[in-house]
Amino acid sequence: MALLDRAEWYDIARATNWTPKYVSQAELFPDLMTGAQGVPMEKWEVYDEPYKTSYPEYVRIQREKDAGAYSVKAALERSRIFEDADPGWRSILKSHYGAIALGEYAAMSAEARMVRFGQAPGMRNMATFGMMDENRHAQIQLFFPHEYCPKDRQFDWAHKAYHTNEWAAIAARHAFDDLFMSRSATDIAVMLTFAFETGFTNMQFLGLAADAAETGDFTFASLISSIQTDESRHAQIGGPALQVLIANGRKAEAQRLVDIAIARAWRIFCILTGPSMDYNTPLEHRKQSFKEFMQEWIVGQFERSLIDLGLDLPWYWEKMIAEFDYQHHAYQMGLWFWRPTLWWNPAAGVTPECREWLEEKYPGWNATFGKCWDVITDNLLNGRPELTAPETLPIVCNMSQIPICAVPGDGWNVKDYPLEHEGRLYHFNSEIDRWIFEQDPARYRDHMTLVDRFLAGKISPPNLLGALIYMNLQPGEMGDDAHGYSWVEKFREPAKAAAE
Amino acid sequence: MALFPVISNFQYDFVLQLLPVDTDNTMDEVAAAAAHHSVGRRVAPRPDKVVRVRRQGDEQFFPRDARLHETGIKPMETLEFIFCDR
Ligand SMILES: [Fe+2]
Ligand SMILES: [Fe+2]
Repeated sequence: MALLDRAEWYDIARATNWTPKYVSQAELFPDLMTGAQGVPMEKWEVYDEPYKTSYPEYVRIQREKDAGAYSVKAALERSRIFEDADPGWRSILKSHYGAIALGEYAAMSAEARMVRFGQAPGMRNMATFGMMDENRHAQIQLFFPHEYCPKDRQFDWAHKAYHTNEWAAIAARHAFDDLFMSRSATDIAVMLTFAFETGFTNMQFLGLAADAAETGDFTFASLISSIQTDESRHAQIGGPALQVLIANGRKAEAQRLVDIAIARAWRIFCILTGPSMDYNTPLEHRKQSFKEFMQEWIVGQFERSLIDLGLDLPWYWEKMIAEFDYQHHAYQMGLWFWRPTLWWNPAAGVTPECREWLEEKYPGWNATFGKCWDVITDNLLNGRPELTAPETLPIVCNMSQIPICAVPGDGWNVKDYPLEHEGRLYHFNSEIDRWIFEQDPARYRDHMTLVDRFLAGKISPPNLLGALIYMNLQPGEMGDDAHGYSWVEKFREPAKAAAE
Repeated sequence: MALFPVISNFQYDFVLQLLPVDTDNTMDEVAAAAAHHSVGRRVAPRPDKVVRVRRQGDEQFFPRDARLHETGIKPMETLEFIFCDR
């Protein structure tokens, strides 16, 4: 018996809306869970997913993808790519796996919410595949680093990070809880699939896949590309949902969700991808600066998709673009200076050649960030490494949970953006972070940052050692300079040559 | 005498830091405590200058001998530490 073409049966088969007899529509689909914002069910029936697939097709393609990625891994298992790669590259792998792998399970739960409470049959269909995608992403990104655990204990954090109170893990959980875990089906379509995935995940994965190939880590390159093909499919769940909201007079609310999600996603990618591209990737493998990458993908491409959907650019767009010049440099300095609090070894990335590159890509870098690195470098050259270690905690933002930091040196513009709410004083990294809090203070007000927990006596002994214990960083796991400070020697040679 | 946390925003440094001080400390003592976490770590020393303290956004500095409990500074308020001639 011949099978019908998908196009001939798809539209009928996916129309799975029905009229409930034993419960009311509102009980079956409570607004709190659907996030339909009062747009009635029948208005959602025009929802048309741009990418269509059937279950047999999905299974066949996913099987091929898995087979591809796992066979590359098996083929290269005995190669020495891992040992021979620059330590900065291994740091990128560790930070990526720890920050992302279990976040994929969070994304799976979010997709499941759209499967159950999505208002459009097409959304529920697409999300069913999306849910299975995210499960695959978590599994594969736990399995691949597992092989490295016997060689390097920090790889254990691929699984461990989210189960700890390590500060970057708190930051990731806070953002993902906000965007994926505690939102309605429609909010998830907008915030996770449209804003986060179209806007940013694409970028992290495309950028990383290119860097991996360039570095010669074909195992990681194939893993990441394999994930990316799923992302670019299920990221399309959000667009048609936004169209329904806008067509039914809900543009302002849709815009607000998009604005919150982009701002939160930007922080995560700024601290994860920014230092990876401009500091941890060895100089000879860098294709583009982080800023150039952001301008191409976010300003060039994502801006277009916002406008095409009938949305406006977020109110803070120019402010965010201005941050492309400095915010990730500040995050990098924080990561490196508080390096014992990380599960990876950050590369300083500031040899004389690196600094030349940074100055070229970011004119003024030497007079700003370079001034702080000068002091750090001198301390290492002069045998005072203790002065390159932290003795107190940075203040972390009450929204991003990332240290509040900006431009040092000649361009000094570091500032707190405080807010007093119900008698408690909050601190934010920018007007943007503070604005998110103000959109729904009850949602955010009770969370305690790492610093709040410290002041509340939850960390003992009340010093950096206590903080490391609280973050569950064991000896052999705490971060240190990726290159064992060998980069400092490059400054000694010219100094010696000049003296001779 | 009581432990009192404030936030240090030190001129030319890149990050806000937690600064545990004492209500009996003078502004000079608070400034020295803040300098400990910035100067010589990421900010080059300026031996010819003194570090003065003010609220973020203020023009006016607190008197150097003012004690913390006399200033009205609240716990976890952000203070700016600025290099000055005197
Ligand atoms: Fe994913
Ligand atoms: Fe995804």
